[in-house]
Amino acid sequence: MLSKVLSIFLSIFFYFTCIALGSDYHERLLLRPLPQSALLASFNFRSNTSATSFEQQHFRYFPRSLGQILQHAGTKELHLRFSLGRWDAENWGARPWDGAREGGTGVELWAWVEAESNEEANSRWLTLTNALSGLFCASLNFIDATKTIRPVMTFQPEGHHPNSTTDNLHLLHGTLPHEVVCTENLTPFLKLLPCKGKAGISSLLDGHKLFDASWQSMAIDVRPLCEVDGSGCILEIEQTVDMVLDIDRSKRPRDNPIPRPIKPTDLECDASKPYHAHDSCYPLDKKAEVAWNLKDVFGRPIKGSCPITADRGPDSETVCINVAPEREVQIQTSGGWTESKSEDGFVRCYRIFGDSDFDLNFPSQLVDKTVPLAQPRLYAARSINGYGQERGSVQAVITNPSPVDTIDLIYLESLPWFMKPYIHTLKAAILPSTNSTPTPPIKETYYRPSLDRHRGTHLELLLTVPPVSKVILTYDFEKAILRYTEYPPDANRGFDVAPAVIRLLSPRAPRFPHSTPEALKRGTYLRTTSLLLPLPTPDFSMPYNVIILTSTVMALGFGSIFNPLVRRFVGVEEVGAAGLAGAVRLRGFLRGRVERLRARFGGKGGKGE
Amino acid sequence: MTPLLRLWLFSLLSVFVGAQHTSNWAVLVSTSRFWFNYRHLANVLSLYRTVKRLGIPDSQIILMLPDDMACNPRNAFPGTVYNNADRALDLYGDNIEVDYRGYEVTVENFIRLLTDRVGEDMPRSKRLLTDDRSNILVYMTGHGGNEFLKFQDAEEISAFDLADAFEQMWEKKRYHELLFMIDTCQANTMYSKIYSPNIIATGSSEIDQSSYSHHADSDVGVAVIDRYTYYNLDFLETQVLSPSSKLTLGDLFDSYDEAKIHSHPGVRYDLFRGGEQEVRSRLVIDFFGNVQNVEIEEAGAINETRWREDLQQLGRMIEEARKRQNTSRITEDHPSSDAAVSSFKPAPARKFEGAARIDASNGLGKKVIGATALLGCAAAWMASSWYESRTKG
Repeated sequence: MLSKVLSIFLSIFFYFTCIALGSDYHERLLLRPLPQSALLASFNFRSNTSATSFEQQHFRYFPRSLGQILQHAGTKELHLRFSLGRWDAENWGARPWDGAREGGTGVELWAWVEAESNEEANSRWLTLTNALSGLFCASLNFIDATKTIRPVMTFQPEGHHPNSTTDNLHLLHGTLPHEVVCTENLTPFLKLLPCKGKAGISSLLDGHKLFDASWQSMAIDVRPLCEVDGSGCILEIEQTVDMVLDIDRSKRPRDNPIPRPIKPTDLECDASKPYHAHDSCYPLDKKAEVAWNLKDVFGRPIKGSCPITADRGPDSETVCINVAPEREVQIQTSGGWTESKSEDGFVRCYRIFGDSDFDLNFPSQLVDKTVPLAQPRLYAARSINGYGQERGSVQAVITNPSPVDTIDLIYLESLPWFMKPYIHTLKAAILPSTNSTPTPPIKETYYRPSLDRHRGTHLELLLTVPPVSKVILTYDFEKAILRYTEYPPDANRGFDVAPAVIRLLSPRAPRFPHSTPEALKRGTYLRTTSLLLPLPTPDFSMPYNVIILTSTVMALGFGSIFNPLVRRFVGVEEVGAAGLAGAVRLRGFLRGRVERLRARFGGKGGKGE
Repeated sequence: MTPLLRLWLFSLLSVFVGAQHTSNWAVLVSTSRFWFNYRHLANVLSLYRTVKRLGIPDSQIILMLPDDMACNPRNAFPGTVYNNADRALDLYGDNIEVDYRGYEVTVENFIRLLTDRVGEDMPRSKRLLTDDRSNILVYMTGHGGNEFLKFQDAEEISAFDLADAFEQMWEKKRYHELLFMIDTCQANTMYSKIYSPNIIATGSSEIDQSSYSHHADSDVGVAVIDRYTYYNLDFLETQVLSPSSKLTLGDLFDSYDEAKIHSHPGVRYDLFRGGEQEVRSRLVIDFFGNVQNVEIEEAGAINETRWREDLQQLGRMIEEARKRQNTSRITEDHPSSDAAVSSFKPAPARKFEGAARIDASNGLGKKVIGATALLGCAAAWMASSWYESRTKG
């Protein structure tokens, strides 16, 4: 059963990706309802250009703005990710694209840069990150030497690079876990598309819905692809947006998204409960699938087809849904459309003609057969343990649910310099420990220690997880104390630590007959969530207090010396009678005033008595 | 021509063509982080929307947002920023380009932006590429005090820093006319130190006066706009309807009602050539809209032969560049000719500065070496003490 489910699931995604080197533009949207009224929407756009026209700066579907940056920075392959939220593997199952098209929380960038030396590679990497920061409105320029690592095993080039250049290709990787992803990142992302969000499936991409999703990931992948016979190469840009929307949440009106209390008369109560009464209500569990359509969920329907998509073949079918065969779907459009179904009936694809609006309507329906959910091959969670301002420890729990397969994986950590791990405390334990002498799960270790303010720690492990067991990886670390000016404005919030990247190595092809070479080359990935590391933060008003106090003390000390120094002391007898006369007159005047006042108040008091 | 005469001629010329500008730029800066400062970002985004509506393209707007309000988890309206409780207008919209955001909004970056002292890798979208024919609108909002404005609650820019930055811009011929607008507490002190010519400055409140927020939205949960900006926008949105509007800055300044703003807005006229009269006659569109004036030299000034010479020179340059590219392409296209030679070349050693492999066995070997060294030292010490006791004996 499991393998059947897997094969259905995998076939859906691989079906979409095995069309390579075909037409110059390809787009596809896959909609898959997930449990608890969630909806996975997976957008995929691909544009090609031949290598020669790219070199001659002749751009058609490939975006010029990005192409020129790649040429300028000598970048041969690029992967850029903007992600938000957490993929809930327990409820949603396996990740789309095997996790190969998603990034860690925030922004993640890795690229193969062509350079003769390390220094040249670093400077080109800086050029690249700066240029991309301007293009994508993100602080990618903050990926400096302290956030850059050179992974050894975790990433493999997806494209075909001629052997003569592979020696000069440098892989650099950087992450910004704190970076927010918002509409200003989506705007340039859409501008790279040939239809620019005006037509085709990209017209559904609206920042208001995308950034309201429970989980979303935008990806840009640029890679060179060559024919096997070496006849020619193309450069391919693949843009992917995956998001999990909450259907109920998305259906709320945009101007009033805050859920208000339902009127008591509108409540649907479960009357079978013993405590059901006129003043208590247990919400009725609705068995039926919720009703929704594209306009409800995305805020607008598909605005016709993008005119440059293919005319025939599977490429021309741009909208696919992955629902049970008996689920009813109504199509609302004034234009033409065709439908095709997969053999098992779980996938339906639509081709849209013309530029009239296209909407899919899913009425509320009782469906007893749901789409089988593929289970992930691995679960991973990571957390910070310990307390205090000085040190802590990190614990990563990697679970292999498979009853038969032993899984090899690569675990990559890129830690900021102010989090200093003690590698001698790195331990990996297997739970449950069945046999008395277990093989150590860590097979290989690659490590590059951090240098204060110059580079972070890079740790890469090759691990083996036996079937139905967990590997618990722990290590201790020390927190550094930053300089006053190194703290960000919101230092008390804590510092984000980049997610760990996990790449699955085995088992391979035999269990997965649908795996295309393409998908194998992409690999299977998993990312943990990012960590929030509280660092010792000073009281930032303290320097001001110190300055003010010091100034006061100095003023008092200085004043008490300066005052006698500049003053001339004069004896009473030295001052002549004329000098004193004024003082005497003043004293007499004051005394007179006081006497008069006293007389007045004394008089009043007397009256009252 | 003596330099003095040339200078005189130049100044004369600039007076004649002085009324003209050929491009419009806007620098819109919010300097406050944290959710409760929502209104400062709303202020800036309102101005962003207005100047965009009046025609300044995104490439000529530098928008600095120190925090993310639209996608903030506290925001009940994801991807949206509102400046009014009626929520009629979504300021974030579908199309926005933020040039500096988050921790990038610092005093250093702001001054570097104004003076264009940036690194070579700085992308064009983050630079103020103005010249002496550019009109610039600089709008700032945040929390300030007497002669300072706080950036992200972590650092301050002083009125003197700002004045010096503007002076440097003037020296570098980076603006033609500049409108400086600031909405913060004691805002008028921020422009009091400016000493460069052709700057019009206006602020929301006098010294020892606070600038107040206009109103709050109970669903957003915080104040959504400041009073001074609100009434500026009120004027710009209801009266300046198109880039052809003929309303002047005088009309704008006269629209300020102290009873409504709850503070005393100020205007500084003395830096501008022509003084108050000239400032008040400037069009609002000169700063808030995009004007693409083209300067045409007078017919008599065109030198026919020089023009032809220039054209020929340009043709030669193109020819040369084409030749150079052809030769380089030829060398690129035929790498096979010297492939035989290159195959004998020693391949450059791959010395990537990556992570090094650690082996457990390696660690054990080191331990053995350490233990041997320790044992050796102990043996030497024992031997020497034994030898000493013998010699003494």
